[in-house]
This record gives sequence, structure tokens and C-alpha cells, in this order.
Amino acid sequence: MKQAQFSVASKLVGDAAVIYPKGYLNNLSGESLVKECGIYIRRGITKIVVNFSETDLINSIGISMLLQIMEDLRNIKGTICCTNMSKFLHDTFEMLGLIQHMTVFPAESDAIDYLKVRTT
Amino acid sequence: MPFNAIPAEDYFNRENELHYLKGLSELKKNALGGDVFLEGARGMGKTELLKQLHRLLFWEDEVVPFYYSFKTANLKGAYFAKDYFAGFVRQYLSFAKKEPSLAQSAAEPFERLMPAISALGLYWLIDCIEDFQTHVNRNDFYWQIVAAISAPVIAAKKTGKPVLLMLDDFDAAGSLYESSFGDTAGLISLFRESMQNSLCPHVMTGSAGALEAIFTDHSLIGMTEQMRLGPLPEDVAAELFGAHLANLKITPPSAGETRFLALLKGNPLYIRNLAKAAWKMQKKELRERDLIECYSYEVSGGETAFYWSSVLSRYTQTPTQRRAMLKILMHSVENGVCEEINRLSILSGVGATETAAIMAAMNASGIVRDREAVLQDVIRCLYMKEIEGRDAVYAKEKIEAKYLSEKEESCFELVIPMSSNAELVVAKAVEQIGKNSNLDAEFLNYLQLALIEVCINAIEHSGSYEKKVFLKFITRPDTLEIVVENSGKPFSPETRKEIPVEEKLRMGIKRGWGFKLVYAIMDNVKVERVNDRTRVIMTKNIKDKEVRE
Repeated sequence: MKQAQFSVASKLVGDAAVIYPKGYLNNLSGESLVKECGIYIRRGITKIVVNFSETDLINSIGISMLLQIMEDLRNIKGTICCTNMSKFLHDTFEMLGLIQHMTVFPAESDAIDYLKVRTT
Repeated sequence: MPFNAIPAEDYFNRENELHYLKGLSELKKNALGGDVFLEGARGMGKTELLKQLHRLLFWEDEVVPFYYSFKTANLKGAYFAKDYFAGFVRQYLSFAKKEPSLAQSAAEPFERLMPAISALGLYWLIDCIEDFQTHVNRNDFYWQIVAAISAPVIAAKKTGKPVLLMLDDFDAAGSLYESSFGDTAGLISLFRESMQNSLCPHVMTGSAGALEAIFTDHSLIGMTEQMRLGPLPEDVAAELFGAHLANLKITPPSAGETRFLALLKGNPLYIRNLAKAAWKMQKKELRERDLIECYSYEVSGGETAFYWSSVLSRYTQTPTQRRAMLKILMHSVENGVCEEINRLSILSGVGATETAAIMAAMNASGIVRDREAVLQDVIRCLYMKEIEGRDAVYAKEKIEAKYLSEKEESCFELVIPMSSNAELVVAKAVEQIGKNSNLDAEFLNYLQLALIEVCINAIEHSGSYEKKVFLKFITRPDTLEIVVENSGKPFSPETRKEIPVEEKLRMGIKRGWGFKLVYAIMDNVKVERVNDRTRVIMTKNIKDKEVRE
């Protein structure tokens, strides 16, 4: 576990926003993630990809923040995809019984391809 | 009595202290030194050092030794005066005639000693005795005490030969009274004149806590230096243990099997008691397992247990107070010292005033200060016996099991503040502890997550004023045990409702995942309330695949 200082980066790919949370996803960093997604949602973006390739650790509060984003998107009939999850992260969501409620892809490009053909 | 010192050849590692104390009268005469307060944890050998010093001085004939123990003294002023005075007269005569038995003949009335005193030409001592008897006959309480305390000074002045006074457990002199306990404060200050005399150096022992309370008299502080009697170094402690065993004809453990002795922290009393326990248990030779067995016997029902139990009794007046003190002590063993009287009052089951008095007595006795493993084990055993109603055998088995299981384990302790990201420090710690045990990195990630969740729970929900989380990691070959403790509001996982995930998502409930993760990751999770703390004990079994090759 590297536990880098948390930061969140993002970019727009077509009509989807790709978010890159980096480091330890807890309450504070989770709020940054919610905020970052909120910016795109307010701009009318309804497709979000969260790329977890640089997220080393998540705690239950971080998970609740992610659920917040899922709920926000569901309210506007949007879609969220999670990609590049480590086995540890994947197992964590599975332990909680959340994985079946998430759309998960191994790679970011798979999620982008999926969202291209999906109309919201 | 000062004549029951252990043989000089069995007395280890106190040569420097003995040498210094022996030369004290010369230093005081030349105004280079004064009186000494000999300080050290209980059992460290303060009394024994005084006895050794007494023996040296007794046979060298340059300085008159006088030993008096306040531990066993009657503190009612008139009784004390008689006892102190008679003790001095007998010891002086014993010294002058070089007959140790004279000092021990406590029942001998002064009249019968007169011929011996006259034969030695000690007419000033006869005057002293007559003066003292006059004060007694007049029932003059104050002058009886003054006459008794002044007797060594008079002896030194009359003969020019210094008298070295050894006042064991001197702090008890602070409790001298006239007719009922606590009726006359400050009688201890009557020792001032004796202590100021250049021919009468004083060596006093007692607990450091009591010393601070007694030496509020600045004239006493100024001329008293403190000498600390520390523990014996590890090699000397092993040598002393070996010497005791040799006297008892027991084969000592091999060098590789004496690690357990480190627990005794070089305390000569504990070392001697452990050797005697081996003898009582009819051991012919000792291995590490035998040491643990003998030790468990000692702290649960042996001399060490009896010693500490007596100390406790000295500082408690009633069975209720003793039980209350035991509860407070047990709390301090498990959770560290707590100063908050109202909390301790709830814990001890007696009122705040009485709890405060118990705390003051504990501080004066030095019991709280001596945070050492042996005392803690004795307290555990006393608690099992007197509070939980168990017998000594049960207590012995518990202690034995504890050390036998700890043999192959290593233990790390950590305290973190309840502040942002503090749980990451814990995550790092568990990572390194896991690496030390060659645990697989992915396996460690799960442990980190479980631990983070328990810490977050404590930080978020306890409302603790202490603002600290205490962690203990115990690694064994097949398990890792993590104990997380914090004060504050009680927490019980039973109170959390198990809501199906679908339901949770539908209702928009986003929190409450933490302990679900903990239960999923760990093999065993136990949450208990210990006094005012919540304790979470998590165990993870380590399988072969989780250990790196």
C-alpha cells in the first residue's frame, strides 16, 4: 500500500467524464470525488467513469461517498462505470454485496466503448 | 532486627552504595554530606542494604549503627517513644559489648541492663534512661518523644563517636499521633535536631511519594540527598538467582532459558522469592517452563503475593476500601492510570471522597508508580481471588497460561490520537508487523482495512475526552490478534441493524459498512466493555498460503 496524498483528476472523453481518484479514499477525499463528479453533472454530463487504477485504499466512508455519486446519477438517469479496480478493491465491494449493483469493467476503454453505445 | 542480613557473599552489586553510606559520618563531620533518603521500588533491597551497612559498622567499631523500622512500629507517640528509646539503648549496648544478642533481647527491662552499662562506664546512658523514665512517669507525651529521638545525639556528643541512624520506612513517622490517629500533625519534625547534628548522619527509606509529602519542612530538605537504588543488571540478577538456587540445591536453568527472569526487572526480593518458590515446589532442576510455573505460584499465592497483599492492607482500613482499591488498581493495570475521581468512584463503588482518599493512599504507597509486570500480575491474581471469588489455583493457572502462550509471540503497542488520517499510521504499523512475520501483501491489505474501520468507528462515535485509541498487536505463528481500545460511549455491534444491501440502496442509507467489513475480513471479532472503555479484539488465523516463502 503506497497511500499517496489523495488527489482527483478528470477529463472529458466524448460525452463521458473520466475521474481518477488517487491515493486513500476516505471522508475528505470522498467529498472531493463527489464534488468533482458534481461539476460534470451540473454541466449536463450523465455518463461517468471512475478509474480506480491509482486508488490504493478505500474505507467505508469513501464507499458511502461513492454510493452518493451512484445515487446522484440514478436520480438523473445517468450511468456510472468503475474500471481498473485492484483485486483487493473488487473484493472489498464484493464482501459488502455491492459489486452486483455496480457496472464494472477491467479497463477504462471498455467502459468508454460501453457508454458510447448506451443512450441515457 | 538488623542482624538477620543475608551473608555478605550472597549480597550482590551494591558495593558502591555501601561504600558511600559507610563513609557518611566522615562526610557529615566535614560538612561534605548530610543525610540520605534511600529511594527505590519495593523489593529493590533498601532494607537489606541497611542491614548490610549495620553489619559492617557493627564490627568495624568506628561508627555506632542504630537501625529502626517504622514498618512494624506502633505509631501511637508514647509507644513509639518507648520502643525507639529501648531499641537504641539495647543496640548501643550490643555494639559496645559486641554482643548481637543484646540488641534482640526486647523483653529485658532497663534495670537488668544497668550492671552491664555501669561496667562499661556509660554513665551518660544511665542519665538518659533516668531522664526518659521521668518523662514517662510524668506522662509527658512531648518530652518522651523528644528524649527518645535525642538519645542517639546525646550518645554521639558524650562519646565523640558518630551514630549512624538507619530509619527504615521513615515515611510512616509522618503518621505519629498522640492518642488517636491523625490527632497530632507534624511530630516527624521533631527529628530535625537529630538530623542537623554533625555526628549523626541519617539514612532513611520510604516511598518517594511519601517523601515529597514529609519533606515539606525546608530545613529537612536542604540537608538530605536522595540515593536511588536501581534494579540489578540482568547478568547480576541471573547470578544472584543462581546463588540462591545453589543454596537450595537446585540446578539452575541453562543460559538460554533464563529470559523469563527479565520479567523480575532485577528486583532482589522477587529473585529470592522465585528461588524459594522453586524449592517449595520441590524442583530439582529448572527449565523455562518450570520458571513460569514457579512464578505463577509466587504471584498467585506465594511470598510475593503475600508481600503485596500486606502492603495493600497497610493502606486500607476496611474490607470495602480494600475492594475499592483493588478495582482501581485493576483498572490501572488494564487501562493505565486514571486521575478522574468521579469516574473512579463509579468504578470502585465507593463515594468520591473515599475514592480520593484511596487514590492519595495509593500515591503515598508508591503502588501506582511501580508499574512493573510482577506487581501487575499480583494485582490480577488478587482481583481474581477477592473480587471475582476465584481461588489461588485458578489464578495461578491463568497467569501460567498467559506466559506459556506468550512464549512464542511478539507484542507491539501503539497509541494514536483521534485525529484525521491517524488510522493510516495504524495501517502502516500493521503493514510492517506483517512484513516482520512474512505475511503476504494482499493479505495485509485486508487486515489494514479491518483495522482502519475499527479505528474510524472509535474516532467517529466514541465521543471520548481522552481522544486516544490504544492498539495492541500480538503475533503468533498461526494467528494475529489485534486489540483496539478507547474510552467514551459504549459501542455494541449487536445494536447495528443488518439491512439487506438492496434495501439500503433503495432507502438511500449510505453508511454502516465498517463493521460488516471487519466481520467479513477477520476470523473472530469480540467487542467488550471494560470499565469505561470499549475493547475490540480481532483475531485472524494465518494459513500457509498467506505467508510468503
